[in-house]
Amino acid sequence: MPRAKIWGFIAVFLSVFLLAFVIYAIFIGKNDHAIPVDLNAIGVMTYYSMAAPLLLISLFVLGIGFWIGWTIITIKVVPPMPEIVEKNDYSKIKAAVLCAVTLAAALMLVYGFYLRAYWALAIPAAVISLVVLGAVFWVGIAIITTRSTLPKGKEES
Amino acid sequence: MKICLLSYRGNPYCGGQGIYLMYLAEEFVRQGHEVHVIVGPPYPREVEGVTIHRLSNHNYFNKKSDFIKPHKPFATYQPLNFYEFVSSKMGIFPEIETFSFRVFMKLKELMKTHRFDVIHDNQCLGYGFMLIKLLGVPFVSTIHHPLSIDRSTWFEYPSDFGIKMKRVLYYPLIMQKFVSNRMDRIVTVSYDSAREITNAFGVPDKKISVVYNGMDPSIFYPLKGIRKKKNSLIFVGNVEDRKKGISYLLKSLTLTRHDVHLTIVDGGAPNRNYVPSWITKFGLNHKITFTGKIPIEQLIRLYSETEVALSPSIYEGFGFPAAEAMACELPVITSTGGALPEVVGEHMKTGYFVPTRDAQAIAEGIDFLLDHPDIRRSMGKAARERVLKVFTWQNAAKEMVRIYEEAIDAHR
Repeated sequence: MPRAKIWGFIAVFLSVFLLAFVIYAIFIGKNDHAIPVDLNAIGVMTYYSMAAPLLLISLFVLGIGFWIGWTIITIKVVPPMPEIVEKNDYSKIKAAVLCAVTLAAALMLVYGFYLRAYWALAIPAAVISLVVLGAVFWVGIAIITTRSTLPKGKEES
Repeated sequence: MKICLLSYRGNPYCGGQGIYLMYLAEEFVRQGHEVHVIVGPPYPREVEGVTIHRLSNHNYFNKKSDFIKPHKPFATYQPLNFYEFVSSKMGIFPEIETFSFRVFMKLKELMKTHRFDVIHDNQCLGYGFMLIKLLGVPFVSTIHHPLSIDRSTWFEYPSDFGIKMKRVLYYPLIMQKFVSNRMDRIVTVSYDSAREITNAFGVPDKKISVVYNGMDPSIFYPLKGIRKKKNSLIFVGNVEDRKKGISYLLKSLTLTRHDVHLTIVDGGAPNRNYVPSWITKFGLNHKITFTGKIPIEQLIRLYSETEVALSPSIYEGFGFPAAEAMACELPVITSTGGALPEVVGEHMKTGYFVPTRDAQAIAEGIDFLLDHPDIRRSMGKAARERVLKVFTWQNAAKEMVRIYEEAIDAHR
């Protein structure tokens, strides 16, 4: 098997293992040690060094969601030519829902961050991990399934 | 002068960017300047005297699969590529931004052996340019038109929430606004575009210079001895580009008195999504022919065989197709959208103007010109004269060098 494919398999297995580990650790096995996770027991510096980056990234992503909805609601354009309209356009309503959901999620996140709630950190951490590891998995699969058209000698350069 | 031109795409056969890049580069060389071009794929053709530095990418945005290069299987795990991969899968168009960082790295390498007098970007405006500014070379950028116009024209066509969301994510307007305000000079291709740049990005008037595009009269000229096809019309452009006003053009064909035939020169079948169904809806299948991508010689022949060209765009920063048709002595029915009046010139003399989004007016224009062959002929001749006089790459390059000199002086 070409070396590239071996590394592709390693990337796939590693990402699947880490994904499973993240899901287990955050959602299933969090109370393994009988004592529930208590972020109030962590020192201020430790808590903020973990929580602040997660909060900023989460707010950034939610901000993008809000901005998309807001743009769709507020953009002023000429209505489409009636002859080419095939179905009703509910995008402004959906955009309003998106704005409301992202705003509510952001408020809940900030409040959870203030309360040092476990889920305020766990959910963003899980989502970020899933996105990054999901992408590693995707690329790994692509490496495994890519058919090389190069001469044999050049395959592993 | 030692000039470094940047362009994240360099295809010289379609889209204004590649044409602009290569004609300017050629003209600079002709005027005695040293020209380097740093360009992303699709790459331009080789030009004598121009040093081309190719910056490859994986085209993650357009390639749904097969994005792994067999000779570089792990390239996607490199940080910049991985960022490009993840963001393009989320619907963002990261090519512009990642190109700007790749250019920075390339320039750092090139600057060890070359001292450029000026760097000139061609509508990239990525965050990486903030790093390029640290290299201490005057930095100019051309904005053909602000992409906010593309976004709003997309929104005025029927679509759903998913499509609109994709369009909001697609256009890097926040980045381009941020970067354009930090460039030494902004060049644009028409006075209308200059106004739009000020409106959209807040770039002050005094920082923007207008340099009209050129037109190559040795490529675009009327072929002799070709018979015009009766009631023939031509439209050149991407039919799925919402700025082009194709829906109004299609409707106008249902309103004309003449039995017209429209030839559409576009990018080919993969680039057609909505328009074929609109054609069917308007009952125009027998009146329209798509050519797809064709060689330039065939396009010139088509222009020579056709009676009237149409450019009903809602907006154009310049409008190459209108100018090309004019150079081929074709009367052009054009809308008053964007810079088209600046390019086409005078109503009833060098072109026939109609208001934007007005199918009835387009139909009246078609009927009028088809009824008056003498006016068509004189309009075509006046149009070519105007193009030869106003839109030359020689003038464009000279004017650009003057802007470079100003930027260099201001930089000292």
